[in-house]
Amino acid sequence: MSKEIKAVRLDEVLGEMEGAVMQRKRPGRIRVDIEADALPTLLQLLKGRAGYLHLSSISCVDWPEDEEFELVYHVWSYETGVLVSAHTRISKQSARYISVYDLYVPAGFFERDIYEMYGLYFEGSPHMEKFILTEWNGPPPMLKSFDTEEFVRDTFDWKEYNPDWLQEIVAKGGGIVE
Amino acid sequence: MSEEKTFPAIPPAVSTGIACETKKDSFLQRVMDGFAEFCRARSLFILHYCTGCGAIELPPAITSRFDLERLGVSPMVTPRQADILLITGYVSIKTLKRIILTYEQMQGPKYVIGICSCTVNGGMYWNSYATAKQLNEYLPVDMYIAGCMPRPEAVQEGLKQLREKIESGEANSWEDYFKRYDHYLGNQQHLFGDDWHTPTDVIGEARHYDLLGDESLGEHTVRLEKYLQHHQELGLTNVELEPENKELMER
Repeated sequence: MSKEIKAVRLDEVLGEMEGAVMQRKRPGRIRVDIEADALPTLLQLLKGRAGYLHLSSISCVDWPEDEEFELVYHVWSYETGVLVSAHTRISKQSARYISVYDLYVPAGFFERDIYEMYGLYFEGSPHMEKFILTEWNGPPPMLKSFDTEEFVRDTFDWKEYNPDWLQEIVAKGGGIVE
Repeated sequence: MSEEKTFPAIPPAVSTGIACETKKDSFLQRVMDGFAEFCRARSLFILHYCTGCGAIELPPAITSRFDLERLGVSPMVTPRQADILLITGYVSIKTLKRIILTYEQMQGPKYVIGICSCTVNGGMYWNSYATAKQLNEYLPVDMYIAGCMPRPEAVQEGLKQLREKIESGEANSWEDYFKRYDHYLGNQQHLFGDDWHTPTDVIGEARHYDLLGDESLGEHTVRLEKYLQHHQELGLTNVELEPENKELMER
């Protein structure tokens, strides 16, 4: 199948999806904003009909003011060299979404990672247990509501370090910028 | 801590027949000790626990460019045969557990060197939830080599200073781990939770080395009591040995 036909297929797929907002950022980079319930369908169409075989990554963004998580699925076509980023928003209240493990096997790792770091659970993902932070019992650390600095102040002590040369600099009005 | 020291809930040691003899302070003994320290300082095996970026400075330090083997320092792959535990870089809480396990497996006298700023005070990870800040809260550290990262020359200089410390008999911080085990264990439990314990019977070892001090046992070591049974089953403690083992030891 030639590159042109593939590119046409992509336009077809995106045309078929109702409510999908497409922006061409630059050649080879497409952003799609889509409702959460339509996203798995979009991925299935992209994979099955337009040749987007590779899921590069799933990223998650915490939007504390909107009380929402934003999920970004980056899918890549080897043939046309185009990266499609599908953005969707999930409510923080439910904090649950559906896994795309059946479509893209590597999604299992990304979903497990997101669950650990943000607490967003993926239904149907095969391994939802702890991934890297196996010995961490606190809240999901990548949430904006988790204050790392406060945690550090509560947990660890500091070694005092105030040598003469630093005191001299401070006396001159310099020193560590807060 | 209560006023009266009622802590030593761990049963008293049973003589195994292999306890260290107390040093006799004779002239010959001093000469022999001095000679042993002279030799020890010139044959150091480092176990490089490469936790962070500082590890990248070790290959040039050890191989032909700077060649630490001139100082008698050479890398070793197992903790039980190593003298120095070299911790190169930031120590995540997860890694710290492994470091403690490794450290406790090493045989005394043992030395710990913290390389890079991260081991001193967290370095650039000072506000990270995942990294421990001061290594010497959890292990007795003989020497810090600060820098981000220190050059091989600095590593070399640090090892030379450690050599001098060993030769003059000052590098005794490994004894501190036994003498103030309760303090170190308390800090470890603060990070890892009250259930934290290692397979090494540190208190038994402290008895063996005759290093059990006032601060060896305390409120934190009491929590280890429930694991003692397990230690005894595995034969990991000298607190109470099986009769047949005892006979073996006496032979």
